[in-house]
Amino acid sequence: MSEILEQIATCVERGKINAASPYPPDMKGQEGADELTRKAIDGGTAPTDILEKALVVGMQKIGEKFAANKVFVPDVLMAAKSMNAAMAHLRPFFQSGEVKRKGVFCIGTVQGDLHDIGKNLVSMIVEGGGWEVVDLGVDVSTEKFIEAVEQHPGCAVGLSALLTTTMINMEKTVKALKEKTPGTKVLIGGAPLTQEFCTKIGADCYSADPQGAVEYLNKLAA
Amino acid sequence: MNSRELVTRAIKGEHVDRVPWVPFTGCHAYALIGKPARLYCKSEEDIVAGLNESIKRYQPDGVPVAFDLQIEAEILGCELVWADENPPAVTGHPLANGHKLASLQIPRPDQGRLKPVLAAARALREQHPDIALYGLVTGPFTLGLHLLGTDIFMKMFEDPGGVHELLSFCRDVCMAVTGYYLEAGCDIIAVVDPMTSQIGPDQFAQFVTPHAAPVFEHIRKSGGLGSFFVCGHAQQNIEAMCDCRPDNVSIDENIPLDYVRDVCRERDISFGGNMQLTVVLLLGSEIDAQRNALSCLDVGGTEGYLLAPGCDLPYATPPANLEAVTRLVRDPYQRDVVRAMEEEDTGGTLLDMSQYGQADKVVVDIITLDSESCAPCQYMVESVRKVVPQFEGIVEWREHKIKERESLTLMASLMVKNIPTICIDGTITFVSRIPRKEELIAAIQKRIYEKLRMRIRTRRGELLVLGKTRDECRGVRPAIDQAMSELGIEVPVREIVGEREALAYGAVQTPAIVATAYRLKAQGENVQVAAVKEWLKEIA
Repeated sequence: MSEILEQIATCVERGKINAASPYPPDMKGQEGADELTRKAIDGGTAPTDILEKALVVGMQKIGEKFAANKVFVPDVLMAAKSMNAAMAHLRPFFQSGEVKRKGVFCIGTVQGDLHDIGKNLVSMIVEGGGWEVVDLGVDVSTEKFIEAVEQHPGCAVGLSALLTTTMINMEKTVKALKEKTPGTKVLIGGAPLTQEFCTKIGADCYSADPQGAVEYLNKLAA
Repeated sequence: MNSRELVTRAIKGEHVDRVPWVPFTGCHAYALIGKPARLYCKSEEDIVAGLNESIKRYQPDGVPVAFDLQIEAEILGCELVWADENPPAVTGHPLANGHKLASLQIPRPDQGRLKPVLAAARALREQHPDIALYGLVTGPFTLGLHLLGTDIFMKMFEDPGGVHELLSFCRDVCMAVTGYYLEAGCDIIAVVDPMTSQIGPDQFAQFVTPHAAPVFEHIRKSGGLGSFFVCGHAQQNIEAMCDCRPDNVSIDENIPLDYVRDVCRERDISFGGNMQLTVVLLLGSEIDAQRNALSCLDVGGTEGYLLAPGCDLPYATPPANLEAVTRLVRDPYQRDVVRAMEEEDTGGTLLDMSQYGQADKVVVDIITLDSESCAPCQYMVESVRKVVPQFEGIVEWREHKIKERESLTLMASLMVKNIPTICIDGTITFVSRIPRKEELIAAIQKRIYEKLRMRIRTRRGELLVLGKTRDECRGVRPAIDQAMSELGIEVPVREIVGEREALAYGAVQTPAIVATAYRLKAQGENVQVAAVKEWLKEIA
């Protein structure tokens, strides 16, 4: 891996956004993911390499640390913020088709539930894993999930719930998705959920942390 | 010792004879009186009615007056969205929408929903002087997140001074509301800070401890007891929570109870939890709920432990599941029953009951813990024992003590869930209730009539005992007699003596047994050749 890609990966993992950002203290004053990504593109590094060899690598590292309880939500949010700073430079290449992503992941918090911290974390880490993420927001109805799958054929779907009452709605959505769009892979997550519940409602994957979701999705794409 | 004293002692870490039971009936109480959240949460009368229903049904030792972490937030300007079956959710954060921290005022007790909730606390205190009341206050970090939104996480790195300033204000809110609840008669203040599950122990020590510790100190000085509630994956922070010096720590199923027990005991802090909210209490059965409660009780012990669900009980929790927990908590005999049933995992070893109860005799099975040691079981067995002789040999009865493995298998096969239970010919007839003599006679008589109606119009079949000598045949008779007696079935038994005779039935070794079954295939109709062919295939 070239030196600049390594530097970008480190910035993403450590949450170093740009030169002005005071965090992390030991990188104060140094260039962050923002400047380094611009520099890499201007210097002729392929945008695909920046995505796959820097952003995905950095987010994977932070995702693994999160799964291992070594870092927590604030650290992941900082990493995602620096990834987004880099991603802004790559956006034109996604639009032109020069950089391809692994697939589409439509995610939303289920009907009746307005909590979005968990869903946002998963979105960021899955995006950082090289996937195009369609964020359907909170309080998403079953119909809206089905519509999203119809608009993005072959996409995987993520359902999030924080409440014990709304997790019950997941069952309805999973059943409807399996019936109306057979073959769609459905991932579920949220504090009150368990593997047992996932099996019971017929979802394809439960993960207690976002990295588990990325790993499952990557297997699908492989 | 009354319930209130029991809870107080357990929170103080003292020994109790019975572990206190504190079902957190926050939004579940809406369901108990059929009111949607938007009405219930704003009404003193509804809150009192809901909790009275909860107290009546679940005989709790303590209850939270409200389980709603948006009360302070709403007064401070957070936008809320209401649902029917949940407390409201915060959707708009004043400090993210241009408001300044300096413009926020500490809530007064007559503001917003504090008013009806505190009034409900006072009313409940008066009506239930023997039950412990919990006043729930929003923990500083969760309140901070309500006020600022998720930006708080990044500001912890980018503007730590600003976050401390915000959390200092939240601490002051916490202390003020704590005072209101104590004044209204609450015994325990639960500082509920679920959002701390999202941060690590270093971040907790840096941002939460300096603001939570003074709250617990304040509760102590005011003569109350403080419990630190957290839910979610927060195992990493249990030690840091203890460092804030609460009297008690309460957790949900995401954290192993034994881990919390060990951490808390080392620091002389009591603990509570962590019955499974969804898989067990909401979606499981009564026996699932009892098993889960029993495993918590076994881990928790009788020193400094309170049995509680991990968090607020779901709205639609079946009351029967919570009532089952109440029985288990209050009745040592119920614990023995569940423990005995737990010892046997009958999964996959159920008996085939399709032919059960088809014998000539009526069979009365009594499933008990043990009639010698359990009073209800004894009375049930006695009631059957007295009635059976009146049927002059056509009714057989048996006691199945579930302390024995075979009985447990039978119990599971009969789908019996409660002890003691009477089954008549395999049908559950009296559950946990001693029938009156006339009732029992009527139930048995009904079954006899049913059997008369269904009586098979032909001989059932017979057993052939094959042996070289008559003595050899007789050697197997005791086993056959015992089986017939236990099943209440009588079929003719014929002895076939002689080696050649036995060989004619295909038996190369003796003693041997051949069972024949006569099946009525046709009557009162013209017999079709095709049909006879099918019958021949069955016996060929």
